[in-house]
Amino acid sequence: MARKDKARVKTSNPLVKVLLVIFMICMAIFILGPLVWLGVHAFVTNWTYPNLTPDGWTLHWWTKVLDDSALEAAIRNSLIISPIVVLCSMVICLPAAYAAGRMNYAGRKTFLIGMFAANSFPKIGLFASIATLYYALNLMGTVFGIIIIQLLGTIIYMTWIPAAAFAAVPRNLEEAARDAGASKFRVFRTITLRMAMPGILVAIVMSFLASFDEAQGTYLVGAPAIFTMPTEMYSLVQNYPIQVAAVFSLLLAIPSVLLISLARKHIVGGQLAEGFQIK
Amino acid sequence: MTTVKPVVVAESLEARKASRLSVLGFFMALPPMLLVICFVGAPILIAFTFSLGWTTGPNRVVSIIGQEIHKKDQWWGTFGAYKDVFHDSRFPGDLRTTLLVTLISTTLVLTMALGIGIYQRMIGGRIASIMTILTLVPLFVPVVIASWAIHTFYAGDGFMRTLMSHFGIDFPTLTSTSTAIAIGTIWTSLPFAILMVTSGLQSVPDALIETAQDAGAGFFRIIRTVLIPLALTPIVIAGTFTAIGIMGSFTIPLFLGPNQPTMLGVEISNFFGSYNRPQQSIVMAFIVFAAASGIAFIYIWANVRSAKQSGRI
Repeated sequence: MARKDKARVKTSNPLVKVLLVIFMICMAIFILGPLVWLGVHAFVTNWTYPNLTPDGWTLHWWTKVLDDSALEAAIRNSLIISPIVVLCSMVICLPAAYAAGRMNYAGRKTFLIGMFAANSFPKIGLFASIATLYYALNLMGTVFGIIIIQLLGTIIYMTWIPAAAFAAVPRNLEEAARDAGASKFRVFRTITLRMAMPGILVAIVMSFLASFDEAQGTYLVGAPAIFTMPTEMYSLVQNYPIQVAAVFSLLLAIPSVLLISLARKHIVGGQLAEGFQIK
Repeated sequence: MTTVKPVVVAESLEARKASRLSVLGFFMALPPMLLVICFVGAPILIAFTFSLGWTTGPNRVVSIIGQEIHKKDQWWGTFGAYKDVFHDSRFPGDLRTTLLVTLISTTLVLTMALGIGIYQRMIGGRIASIMTILTLVPLFVPVVIASWAIHTFYAGDGFMRTLMSHFGIDFPTLTSTSTAIAIGTIWTSLPFAILMVTSGLQSVPDALIETAQDAGAGFFRIIRTVLIPLALTPIVIAGTFTAIGIMGSFTIPLFLGPNQPTMLGVEISNFFGSYNRPQQSIVMAFIVFAAASGIAFIYIWANVRSAKQSGRI
């Protein structure tokens, strides 16, 4: 409701309206076009250029993907590894996020900026550098190695966004609860944690997606022993017809769509944006 | 004395509590920091020594496997690998492509984010909300899928050419050109920039805009003198994150770009894997890192600026 009260300017120029609608149609084609085009390919037998409709419809590619044991293993690996990564990330990062959001300690700013600096080294270069270390530590081709690689991509979400959320919890609410006789733990559980929950939820969703979608590092460490869904995509694209890649893409998109729909309100509501400003 | 004493005691208690908190805070912040130091900081440092020709210790294995390794001839190392890269005929084209794509895509992403954000802030309505939701769609889509979808969409037998051929237009095949890389990077960077910019613009108080309107300021003057200056920090953050992300991108140029010249992200991977020249690959990573650090500096400046304004420093 608050948004209705915002200062607005009224436009009644019909030309502006027409231009806007044209711009919106172009944006819709630009953004949705590729996805729809690929999605439709999951259900067609073949598509001869330049026909506007495919040659025929089929579900054949779905059975092909679901029966392929390599693809099945990739799906299983992804569904096992990503939740582990998110859990590890929460255990490692959430206390740090609380500290960064609520406490003042030596090196706090260095910590936040250091996390950012780590993010500005090109990922592919970092993975090439890590490979050297992994050879020395015997982590190449291991699940543990992949978990660490994917963990690195989640840290920035799991520290920054919850840190901002913890910082935004009003202190006087906590103090009032303490005055009313609540124990420290109870205050933390029922007030601090509950109020910071949307931020933590956004961090969990973004971390899961970062881990689930991570392909470059996982490929470098895991291939050819362990494939996850995105790394399997690399070989799919090269070795299978486009329809198989289309089916696989739809499968790969399911977790993202589900999770982001869950947290959409908070992501759009500014939790994500809030987290990316160092305070 | 007797009246002062309790205050002193209370103060020192407070100070002790604060210092204890800060020690606790430091230890709570330690685990992710250690992880980053071990698996980001250390590998980068080791890789840097490797790029200078230090081929012993942790660099021993990779030096044995790799080809055209330069061993250090001075006490500090050698610039051999750097010279290789700068004299490589592919490098200027790759660097130009990387910088151009970064510049063009970041500019376009910021322009679109600002346009949509300002429209939503100043005019609003249904079109604005549909537009915002539309631009957030790429957030749902893994980069691998996005790249492949865009690849097929602009391919020789893709949708754009199919559709246009029915109007008698010979739409160019964009797949495998740097234009396609730009399209892909814009596509994937849009949601984050839009989120940052719109949230910055939304937090500009109504009172300021109304006051400016009452004082007779026009639409563009309000944008130029009120909205953009007040939301500058989130706008700069959106720009720097977008630029850094694009500069180091790998999957998008791999799927969408030409074989030569391509972006340095792909070349780093080629040199490391296919060509088996790890030292030159690491050198390229440091060149991208140097460029990204310049952009990161702008980001940190923007954050310090906003902290100063709100009186936190």
